[in-house]
Amino acid sequence: MVKILHLHNPEIGKHFEGIRSSLTGADQAWLGAVREEAMTRFTNTGIPGPKVEEWKYTNLGFLANENFAVGTKADQTSEIKAFYDAAYLADIAGPVVVFVNGHIYPALSSYPDEEGVEFSVFSENTSAFRDTLESSDQASSLNDLNRAMVTDGYRLDIAAGVQVRQPIQIIHIVTSATDMKLIPVRSQVTASKGAKARIIETFIGAENERYWGHMISETTLHDAADISLIQFQLQGKQAIHMTELHTTVAEKANFSHMSLQLGAEISRTELINSFTGEYAHIDLRGAYLGRVKQSHDIYTRINHDQPNCQSNQLYRGVLDEGGKSAFQGKVVVARDAQKTNADQSNKNLLLSRKAEANAKPELLIYADDVKCSHGATVGEMDANQLFYLRSRGLDEVAAKGLLVEAFVAEVFDDMDDEILRDAFKAKAAGWLSREERA
Amino acid sequence: MLEIKNLHVSVGGKEILKGVNLTMKSGEVHAIMGPNGAGKSTLSYAICGKDGYEITEGTVTYNGKDLLDMEPDQRAGEGLFLGFQYPVEIPGVSNMNFLRSALNSQRRYRGGKDMPAVEFLKLVRAKAKELDMDAEMLKRPVNVGFSGGEKKRNEMVQMAVLNPSLAVLDETDSGLDIDALKVVSDGINRLRSPENSILMITHYQRLLDYVVPDFVHIMADGKIVRTGDKTLAIDLEEKGYVGLGITENAA
Repeated sequence: MVKILHLHNPEIGKHFEGIRSSLTGADQAWLGAVREEAMTRFTNTGIPGPKVEEWKYTNLGFLANENFAVGTKADQTSEIKAFYDAAYLADIAGPVVVFVNGHIYPALSSYPDEEGVEFSVFSENTSAFRDTLESSDQASSLNDLNRAMVTDGYRLDIAAGVQVRQPIQIIHIVTSATDMKLIPVRSQVTASKGAKARIIETFIGAENERYWGHMISETTLHDAADISLIQFQLQGKQAIHMTELHTTVAEKANFSHMSLQLGAEISRTELINSFTGEYAHIDLRGAYLGRVKQSHDIYTRINHDQPNCQSNQLYRGVLDEGGKSAFQGKVVVARDAQKTNADQSNKNLLLSRKAEANAKPELLIYADDVKCSHGATVGEMDANQLFYLRSRGLDEVAAKGLLVEAFVAEVFDDMDDEILRDAFKAKAAGWLSREERA
Repeated sequence: MLEIKNLHVSVGGKEILKGVNLTMKSGEVHAIMGPNGAGKSTLSYAICGKDGYEITEGTVTYNGKDLLDMEPDQRAGEGLFLGFQYPVEIPGVSNMNFLRSALNSQRRYRGGKDMPAVEFLKLVRAKAKELDMDAEMLKRPVNVGFSGGEKKRNEMVQMAVLNPSLAVLDETDSGLDIDALKVVSDGINRLRSPENSILMITHYQRLLDYVVPDFVHIMADGKIVRTGDKTLAIDLEEKGYVGLGITENAA
């Protein structure tokens, strides 16, 4: 019997043919060629099915039958403003860039404007994205689908030595509508030598709509650069949310990624990282909280191709009845990457016997002088802790809430930015107090 | 007033309490002593509502209300406090946050409002100071990394802040050195008032030198077998259980 690894949906190609003349930058030949080639590759390869090892825990079978249409520009509505208000961290002053249904939304955006910071938006300046779109080095089939359909995105270039003063907030909003939207967006961040910035990205959308948010990010850190990317995933409960981040980290550079997965029916976060210089550091951490029908999948890969680098991964999951998660963390230490220090920790708390957490740490070590560790646990709430809290007066919901908060707190407790730390806490606590526990 | 009548409790199908009768009036301090396995801790857990303690017969009422029908947090709302023999560590929850949640939960249960943050802070700091607890410890996660003595001190601070009308202290004195014992007994004596009653479960007479009880009960094999005043504890110390005609693990 032949194993069917990939799935095909001919409607996607037909949809592409139908809309290609109205896609962003349709008048530019190079972009047309990029889209066409990407679509051909995608069509030939197909959608990864559950037999593809990396996709074992996120079944994309539905994509063979469900047909999504690329999102179009939205008119101004109060709904958009409401999402913006829910996502925008008002206590953090600074620039904010808003995309609605995968298109820049100027009415609520104020681009970064400071010396040494170059910011461009795809729909306003497609040529700024030419290099990355024409390079298909890391193209997976879904990356190709995104490349073929991409509607908008942003590019951020920080000049050498520039420390961006205020965090840059990026908000992706999906509105309610009767069509099933595909939101293919991209970002490209380049930090030159010694540059430093913090980016806060929030994904939020209509609660009772099926839509598919798909984002590809490419981040390059040159020597001694310092980039911190924070992502809040607050998508609507029927949404499909996928992000694929490719990051390279050069000598003495510091990359940190922190995510909170609360929304979506299916979320998939791929973090593909490589060291390109020595004495660099990568810190990946996050919390995912899931309940009925929800599935979160965190897939990380750290390529220790250089000696003397350090990577830390810290993930905490909380799954209530009907919730499902996977953490797949792969660390590859190359033969010459001596003095590597790689640490990985994934702990899961199940609030119900009908919840599922999968942990799949994978360490491939080809060097002999390294320090690598990993730990993965799946457990239930401690009955003694629960009784202790309740004996002091906290009711069951409050006591459980406090214990869940404590369980995920480790992820963000040592954040230096108090506003962000409180935002993490408040959003996690919001998930806990939601009443829709079917 | 706490009234326990003919209380039978089983744990894992095994009967541990075999008909306990006890009445405590407001302002009274009672001590329960007894050999290992007599059912002392089971009594405290049954009063406070821990899972797994099955009441097969009898009643427990507090101020006329049926406690056995209530969740542990509702019992706390009614004024109960359980001092743990082994206080639980809760990583990630600060003492402050824990105390605030506990106090405000109880206030809400009684139909009141949350205590204003400033007032709360003052209260906690004052109680911590009275019991000689370092203010820094209030910021630390509940009991995590605390020594045995510090944990018991923390129990006393919690008790002082929550000001329960009925404190059930389960071997709060066990494993303490003399300094820590003084802290604990100081905490108990501070709670003592005509409105508050205290039930101390203890293995040793030592605690009763510092907190003088109004009544002493001796428990053996799931029942209270002897009741007296503080002299009963002194008698017990001199003669031992056997000397008083009480055998351990009496069948």
